[in-house]
Amino acid sequence: MRVSTPHMGHVYIPFKAIFKRLGVEFIMPPINTQRTLSLGARYSPEGLCIPFKMTLGNLIEAADMGANTLLIPGGDGICRLGYYGKVQEQVLHNLGYDTEVIQIGVSEQKFRSLMSIIRKVSGDAPWYRIISAIRFGLSKLASVDRVERVVQKVRPVELVKGTANQLYSHAISAIDKADDYDTLKRVEVDYINQLERVPRDKQVQPLIVGITGEFYVLLEPFSSFDIEQELGRMGVEVRRSTFVSEWTKFSFFLNPFGINEKKRIHRAARPYLKRDIGGDGWESVGEKVLHAEEYDGIVHLAPFTCMPEIIAQNIMLSTREKIPVLTVLCDEQIAKAGVLTRLEAFVDLLIRKRRAHSGRAQGAAA
Amino acid sequence: MTTIGIPRALLYYQYYPMWKTFFEHLGVEVVTSEPTSRNTLAKGSTRVVADTCLPVKVFVGHVLSLVDKCDYIFIPAIRSLKSRTYNCAKFLGLPDMTRAVVPESPPILEIEIDVNRGKRYLYQSIYGLGRHFNWNPLRVREAATAAMEAFISYRGLMSESRLTPLQAIDDITGIPRREPVEPSIAPTTPSATIAVIGHAYLLYDEHVNYELIHRLEQYGARVLTPEMLTEHEREAAVARLVGRAYWTYEEDVVGAGGHYLQNEVDGVIGIMAFGCGPDSLMMEILRREAGNQQTTAFMCITLEEHTSETGVITRLEAFLDMIHRRKRRRVALCV
Repeated sequence: MRVSTPHMGHVYIPFKAIFKRLGVEFIMPPINTQRTLSLGARYSPEGLCIPFKMTLGNLIEAADMGANTLLIPGGDGICRLGYYGKVQEQVLHNLGYDTEVIQIGVSEQKFRSLMSIIRKVSGDAPWYRIISAIRFGLSKLASVDRVERVVQKVRPVELVKGTANQLYSHAISAIDKADDYDTLKRVEVDYINQLERVPRDKQVQPLIVGITGEFYVLLEPFSSFDIEQELGRMGVEVRRSTFVSEWTKFSFFLNPFGINEKKRIHRAARPYLKRDIGGDGWESVGEKVLHAEEYDGIVHLAPFTCMPEIIAQNIMLSTREKIPVLTVLCDEQIAKAGVLTRLEAFVDLLIRKRRAHSGRAQGAAA
Repeated sequence: MTTIGIPRALLYYQYYPMWKTFFEHLGVEVVTSEPTSRNTLAKGSTRVVADTCLPVKVFVGHVLSLVDKCDYIFIPAIRSLKSRTYNCAKFLGLPDMTRAVVPESPPILEIEIDVNRGKRYLYQSIYGLGRHFNWNPLRVREAATAAMEAFISYRGLMSESRLTPLQAIDDITGIPRREPVEPSIAPTTPSATIAVIGHAYLLYDEHVNYELIHRLEQYGARVLTPEMLTEHEREAAVARLVGRAYWTYEEDVVGAGGHYLQNEVDGVIGIMAFGCGPDSLMMEILRREAGNQQTTAFMCITLEEHTSETGVITRLEAFLDMIHRRKRRRVALCV
C-alpha cells in the first residue's frame, strides 16, 4: 500500500515519521508550487475555494507518483471541507486514477478516527506500535512549531534579513530527518539556540500584527503568498494562535475532557456572534475582539468564497473594539505583487498610527 | 398590536406559512416585505462586504425595507433539521450578521434549530421565541403545534397538487391564483418538461432569477420544481448519489436533481448563486451524474448581481432548442 496525503504547511513531517515507523510506504507529493495549484484549479469545479484546489493538485501529483491510498480530511459540520472527499474521489476516478480516498475525521472523534485509519493502512499493526508511531510524529510536529514560534520573533529584528528563514528551513529538514527522540531534541535545542544568537537590532520595537482566519490558508504559506515571511521582512512581528501541534494537542487529548483552548476566544466573540458558524469564523471574530488592545493590527486571511469567513468579515467591520483589519482573500487568480502592495500600505498605516499615538502620549507627559 | 416583520427572502419560501401561523396564534401581526426589486438588492449590497453571496445581499435589502414597519424582525438560525446534517455558515450567522450590518433595525428575534442537540433543546428554543409574546408555555406549545400542522399541509399541498411555493402561499393566504401562462412564443416544437432545481430562495425570487420559471412556461415548457416531489423521493436520490446528506438543504439540490435526472423530464436546470459553498459541490455532483447518464440534459446557471438578463435568456433558449432537437431526432428514429 502506498499512502499519501495533501500538504498543509509541515503536516507531512509527522505523517512521514508515523508511516516510516510502521513500515508503510509514504509518498510525499512535491512541495506546493504553481504547478500544483494549476493542476488543482484545472480539474476543480470553478466555484470552489483554494484549499480544495491545492489539495486536489497534491492528490493528483501523488497519484502520478504511484500513491494508491489517499488520506484527506473530512467530517461533519465544518464547512464544505466535509464534502471535499465525495467530489475529489470522483474527480480522481474520472481522471483514471485507481485510488482509494479515505477521510480522516477532523470534527468528531478525531483521535479514534486517525488511529483506526492508520491501523487499517498499516495492515493491522499492533496498537502499541501505532501509538508509539503517532507519539513520535506528534513530537516532531511540536518541535517544528516550537522552532517556528522563535522564527516569528527573530524575523522582524534580525540585522541580516533572511537569516532566520534560512535557519528555519535547515531546522525543518533536520527535524524531518531525525529518527529518534534524542536526535529530535538535540536538533530542536540546537536550532533554537542558533536562532536566539542571531544578531538583532536592539533599538526597534516591531509592530505586532495578529494573523487570523481560515485554518488552511493560515498554515499553508504557498496559498497565502508567504504573508508571514513578507510581514517579517517588513519588520513586523507576527502573532498567530493557530498551530497544528496546538490543534492536535487539544482536539486529540484535551477536548474530550472538556478542556477547550478556544473558550476564551469564543467568549470574546459572543457579544457579536453567538454560535459556531463552521470553519473558523467564530474564532476570527473572537481574535479581533480579544487582541484589539494588544496588537497594532490584524491580518485576516480567508480563501475566496469562504462562507464562514465572509460572515466573520461582515461582523468584524462593526465591533466596538477598534483595530485595523486587513482582509486578504486567497485565490489562484490573485497576484502576489498586489497583495504585497496592500500589505505595505497596511504596515505604513500602522506605523503612522503608532507614531501619532506615541506623540500624543509624549505630549500628555510633558 | 405588536407586529413582527418577516423578510421575503432566504427561508421565507420554505417556512412562511409555518412562521405566520405560529406568530398569529400568539396574537402577533405578521408583516412581510415587498417582493424583491432592483432597489432591494442595491440597498442590501451597500451594507455587506462585496464577497457576500447574492441571496444574503437580497436578504439584507429586505430587512432594510422592514426597518420602520414593525416592532421586531424574525430571523432564524437553522443549523440542522436531521441528525448529522449542517447548514451553510450564512444561515447560522444570519441573525448576528444582520445585527452587525443593519444597526438601526428593530430588535431581532432569533431561534436556533439544531436537532443534533436533542428534543429538549428544540422545545426550549421554541419556547424562548414564543416567550417574547406569551409567557404561558401551553399557549406557545399550542401555537407551535398549529404551526407544524400548517407546515405539513403546506408541503402536502405542494407535492400533491404540484404547486410552487409562490402558488401555495397565494392559496393559503387567499389570494386568487394567477392565470396559467399561455405559451406566447410560438410553440412550433413539441413541448418539453423541464425541472428547475436549487434553493427555494433562488427559484422563486423572480427578480433574482429574471423570472426564469415564467419564461420557461412562456416557451411552452412544463416546469417541475423540488417542492413537487415527496420527501421520500428526494431522500432516495440523495442516498443513491452521495450516500448520506451532509447539508441541511441537500435534498432540494442533489435530491431533487438526482430524482429528475432519472425521471419524467427532458432537461434539468440547476440554479445557484455565485460563491455558494454547498452548491459549488452539489451542482458538481449533479453535473457529473448527468454526464455519466447521458440521457437527460443538465445546465447550471450561476446568478450574481452582474449576471445579465440577456445572457440568461440566451442560455435558456439554447438549452430548449437542444432539447427540442433531441426529441425530434428521437421521434424520427422511432418512425
